[in-house]
Amino acid sequence: MTEFTPTRDEIVLLARHAGLDLPPAYFDELVDAYANVRRMAARLPHNRPRGDEPAHVFTPTKFLPVRS
Amino acid sequence: MTPTDLHFTTIAEAARLIAARKLSLVELTETYLNRIEALDDQLDSFVTITGDRARREARAAEAEILSSGPRSKLHGIPYCLKDIFDTAGIRTTAQSKLLADNVPVTDSFCQARLSEAGGVLLGKNATWEFAHGGPSWDVLFPPARNPWNTDHSPAGSSSGSGAAVAAGFAPATMGTDTGGSIRGPAAACGIAGLKPTYGRVSRRGVIPNCFSHDHAGPLAWTTEDVALLMQIVAGHDPLDPGSADMPVPDYAAALTGDVSGLVIGVPWRWLEEELPLKAPTRAAFDAALAVYAALGAEIREVSLPTLKAYEDAKKIIAIVELFSIHEQDLRTRPELFGASLRYRIIAGGLVRAEEYVQAMRARTDLARAMQAVMGTVDVIMLPTGEPAGLLEPVPPQTLFTRSSYMTAFNVGGNPALSICSGFNDAGLPFSLQIVGRLFDEATVLRVGDAYERATPWRERRPALTARAKV
Repeated sequence: MTEFTPTRDEIVLLARHAGLDLPPAYFDELVDAYANVRRMAARLPHNRPRGDEPAHVFTPTKFLPVRS
Repeated sequence: MTPTDLHFTTIAEAARLIAARKLSLVELTETYLNRIEALDDQLDSFVTITGDRARREARAAEAEILSSGPRSKLHGIPYCLKDIFDTAGIRTTAQSKLLADNVPVTDSFCQARLSEAGGVLLGKNATWEFAHGGPSWDVLFPPARNPWNTDHSPAGSSSGSGAAVAAGFAPATMGTDTGGSIRGPAAACGIAGLKPTYGRVSRRGVIPNCFSHDHAGPLAWTTEDVALLMQIVAGHDPLDPGSADMPVPDYAAALTGDVSGLVIGVPWRWLEEELPLKAPTRAAFDAALAVYAALGAEIREVSLPTLKAYEDAKKIIAIVELFSIHEQDLRTRPELFGASLRYRIIAGGLVRAEEYVQAMRARTDLARAMQAVMGTVDVIMLPTGEPAGLLEPVPPQTLFTRSSYMTAFNVGGNPALSICSGFNDAGLPFSLQIVGRLFDEATVLRVGDAYERATPWRERRPALTARAKV
């Protein structure tokens, strides 16, 4: 998968979308950290046998009354 | 037993002495409190000391045992808790300025179990902020130090827990492990620490780090003591959605000392190619394998997915879940976070939903691959890590770039025990990690205990001496 390297302006938009209105020093931290996160996300496998879906953590039996 | 070594009594030894009415519980508790008072200014392993409560509990335990005998092997024994376990009426801070005034109204599941067993709470141990970012000098308390050499780190995040047990400040403590936070400090401090199977020990009342990978578990001087603590804290909790409804075996009964015929798998590709061991650590590991071979175990190579694959899936999940836990505070008062933790979680808000789902899918596939390998051996064995490094600021980027031998077993959910496997030329502990099949803590503990019986490492303790107080 091609690595997506966002510009600083794009990160401003992403941060705004995430509700983050950070002071400049903290924004620099975010830019640096996000570059590391992009590298990890790009390495995640996509073309592989299907694993169990995260949606399956929703199991209705968990909402039944607790048996004493 | 002399007064000078009473603080190094193990839980098992103390329980035998208590049952035989040869040990004063009040004296035992006072010994630990005095030692903490005299020496913890060198280690900062406690952030809260509950001395009055401990003395009350010790007196009550002594009276009850004299009249009707001990309730459990922990009755009257002092213990402490990492400061992310809720304790009713006692400040629980997670080492964070954000929780400086947080006083829970109810106990965590583990604290409730330990209290019901008759344990004596000495206090709360230092951690990394929210059990994740550290070591930090800009959070609520200073970081803990390693009792084998106070210039060195006790690792994290259960830093104070590991340091306190090794220093003889308490015989037992509870920690949490999301990527190695029980096993790392156990390794750095030369003690035993168990990350149980995911869901084996309830996390109710534990301040969360990453729900998908959080585990609670015990640390103590010996594997035998870890087994005794597991007997108390393991078991189903219907109020923890992640808790597993599985039978709990008699862990102490599993400690037979016999490992003959056992099959040990070693992931050599991790240790030789992906994250090569340093020569002294490799030599210590080879020596540990030789001990098991002499005890009759069979050693063979196993092949697992790469460490990096486990790390990437775990860390994407972790930063998203961390951000979801702390989003309001990150948006409104980011300055109250330590810089290390803030750096590590702030980008979690920018991860796409699709990437989180992909990471969760990858987690399941990686866990399945691990269980397939575990089906071919009884345990996997490898070092927990290199001996403790210096206590100094760590660039926060290393969270994303540095691999460890521990994280994969948080992804798999498998039980993993760290024990001491000797000492390097600088007197710092080497470590051995023993990983078992899901819910088979009994075998993991048997394997760790057999090694401790066959080797002399449990005889050596760190030497701390009181400084003159000005």
